[in-house]
Amino acid sequence: MKKSLLIFLLGLPFLGYSQSFQVNLQGQKQIAMGGAGTGAALDEASVFFNPGAVSFLKQNGVQAGVSPIFLKTSFRETGSNITEHNKDKIATPVMGYAVFGSPASRLRFGLGIYTPFGGALHWEENWTGKYTVTSLDLRAIFIQPTLSYKITDHIGVGAGLVYSLGHVDLRRAVPLTLNNGETGTAKLEGTSKDFGWNAGIYVETISGVSIGVTHRSQVNAAIKNGDATFNVPDALISSFPTKFNATLPLPATSTIGFGIYPSEKTTLLFDVNWVHWSKYKNLSFDYDNNSRIADTRSPRNYHDAAALRLGVQNQATTKLVLRAGIGYAFTPVGKGYVTPEVPDADRLLLSAGVGYKASENFSVDLSFLYENVKTRSETNIETNLSGAFKTLAYIPGIALTYKW
Amino acid sequence: MKPKFIYNSIFVVALAAMASCKPEFKDVTPSKGTADFTRYIAVGNSLTSGFADGGLYLEGQQNSFPEMIATQMKTVGGGAFYSSFFNTSQANGSGYLRIKSFSASGLPVTENVTDNLAVRGQIAVPGFGNVTLYTKFSGDLNNYGVPGIKLANITYAPYGNLNGYFERLLPGASPTNTTTYLSFITAKPWTFFSMWLGNNDILGYATSGGAGDVPTDKAVFTSLYNTAATELTKTGARGVVATIPDVLGTPYFNTVTLATLLAAVKVSAPTVTALYIQTGTGTVRAATAQDYFVLTLGSANVIGVPNSGGFPYGLHPGNPIESKYVLDQAEALVVNDYVNAYNTTIKSVAAAKGLAVMDAYALLREYGAGKVVNGANVSAAYITGNLFSLDGIHLTPMGYAIVANAFIKAINTQYGSSIPIVDITKYRGVKFP
Repeated sequence: MKKSLLIFLLGLPFLGYSQSFQVNLQGQKQIAMGGAGTGAALDEASVFFNPGAVSFLKQNGVQAGVSPIFLKTSFRETGSNITEHNKDKIATPVMGYAVFGSPASRLRFGLGIYTPFGGALHWEENWTGKYTVTSLDLRAIFIQPTLSYKITDHIGVGAGLVYSLGHVDLRRAVPLTLNNGETGTAKLEGTSKDFGWNAGIYVETISGVSIGVTHRSQVNAAIKNGDATFNVPDALISSFPTKFNATLPLPATSTIGFGIYPSEKTTLLFDVNWVHWSKYKNLSFDYDNNSRIADTRSPRNYHDAAALRLGVQNQATTKLVLRAGIGYAFTPVGKGYVTPEVPDADRLLLSAGVGYKASENFSVDLSFLYENVKTRSETNIETNLSGAFKTLAYIPGIALTYKW
Repeated sequence: MKPKFIYNSIFVVALAAMASCKPEFKDVTPSKGTADFTRYIAVGNSLTSGFADGGLYLEGQQNSFPEMIATQMKTVGGGAFYSSFFNTSQANGSGYLRIKSFSASGLPVTENVTDNLAVRGQIAVPGFGNVTLYTKFSGDLNNYGVPGIKLANITYAPYGNLNGYFERLLPGASPTNTTTYLSFITAKPWTFFSMWLGNNDILGYATSGGAGDVPTDKAVFTSLYNTAATELTKTGARGVVATIPDVLGTPYFNTVTLATLLAAVKVSAPTVTALYIQTGTGTVRAATAQDYFVLTLGSANVIGVPNSGGFPYGLHPGNPIESKYVLDQAEALVVNDYVNAYNTTIKSVAAAKGLAVMDAYALLREYGAGKVVNGANVSAAYITGNLFSLDGIHLTPMGYAIVANAFIKAINTQYGSSIPIVDITKYRGVKFP
């Protein structure tokens, strides 16, 4: 059963979006509260948000959810009167968690499957920036078995081992003209398997405020022997590579979160994320044949960036919970480094959601997240692509939970 | 089931709302500034006509920079624009070069396209030579680009009999024409013009290795440029002029070099260290890196072929590389001197008349040196550089698009207009087999 669930989740074509290529869609309750959730023992998604809080969960349970992303990006080249839009392609990152063990015991077990990094941006094949990128599908699915231990009645620690399954499919046009007048294309596709970890401390203070501190380690998505498929003139094909290696750092994230409980029915959550993006210096591709194209080393020079998340939930009735949240994510991308595969900028997040407890065991949570990425106009220092990007994302989501 | 139904309904409504919300940018306000683009005419030579790959053919005409500019001008009040397109049944026009294959050493082997031509005959003009005649064009016309025309030809009455591309546009057949180019283009009122003339006044000298043509006298050039500019602005029309590109920066002069020739020779004759050339003045000497070889030497297959005296071509002072294949150091200096003088004239006339200047010399040097355009590498490299077409002199559609944007920027700067740029990446480079 569990195995088939795993296969089901991994088989879905996922792709996601949030600060740069970090995706913050890990639990429907948390999404509905602006993405906050580190400072509270909210639900099974604590496996991701704070392994230390898992041992504080009052019940065991499994949940599975999905958050289809409706991503709308527009580009207008400097000096042009034409606005170009990305293709309507829905990405569907999934998340699933399970918490086991006796709720009475100090030691609890968890398993999480989620997608903390990804991206799916598809431009028209003949768009202005086609020589930089026509489409990027990127995902890193993390599988995280977790131990959580309640040291005292007020302090819990937890840690999980992360096994990351990465997949990248990057396509762009090649500035060589085929005999039919069309441009050549390149497709770089590969997978990676890497390890990392996720650890956290959870403290319920005497004042009633709960505090969580977590660190999710960097994971390097190292692609070895990926397939480089070039559609270029026959006369040149033998001088093009067929394999490539590349490494994409998936940066570490440190978080401190607070849970405040103004009344029995109301919870306030506040998280501050610090994402260690400065590890992402270059996007490099190492090809197996350099007779026509050299290995590329595209500067990214990201800097560390914070995200602030504030959420509230209210137990409206015994069966219904209402949630809302707001967040702001600072871009890690410096001036001159914005690229069309991830046209990042500072972004505002607004969210809302409801939870409905259908029975003692079964509940459903819905969320809706709206992301407004600021308009950003500049010239990329590597490609000279000059213009303005504007992105909006609409992300509804649903999760089903079974508790026992 | 009832709550689920409500949730489902909300979900469906939300999806429908999201599907239509694409982010937009603030509208650009179109403005023609102080110019009037109601009837734009393009005055010039092959570069204005869309000539590429050693010929004038329909695809090149459709991708000429005046066609691109005129399309963009329509957003700021520009009128209809017509070029002398070849019929689709004669789309290959004069014929043109294409790559047939690559030699074992990786050099392109070109061939001529000879089907679907628009050639209607040939006439021998006494004292001049044979002139190829093309199917006549008699519609409305805005693009007056005539391949081969020099500034020196624009007031010469019999010119319509000597240039088949010009003859094609005139009502009369060679050798009966007496209309000058300047009076032909100014016969119908215009409000805006581009003028890119003067290239051929030095190009013929350069491409023939200094052996086949004489540069137009500098004073004559200045006088005629003033005549043309005065005529084109006499009714109050505004315009843009362009400088002459760096002739020696084209692939025509940088693909076959002393180094590539020596490397090829050394494959079979490792002891050869020098090539001998005949200069424009008749002296025979060893070639240096300061001498330019023309592109056509690469496919002439003459190097090493012995003459009657038994001396191998180019490898012995007794059988030097002919002057027509070499623009020697002294001749190269002549070319640069004339180009600089012509460009000084063009800029000063433009300044005096208040015309916009598209500095093609600076532009093609900048891109020729290698520049990344929206992620695509562009350079003056032969075939792979995306800028120059197979003849090594004229541009690819992508090259013409780069030129079109430079014209648009020059016009917008001079006249305060807001003509939108073209998307360079929509245009191709050299076609590969």
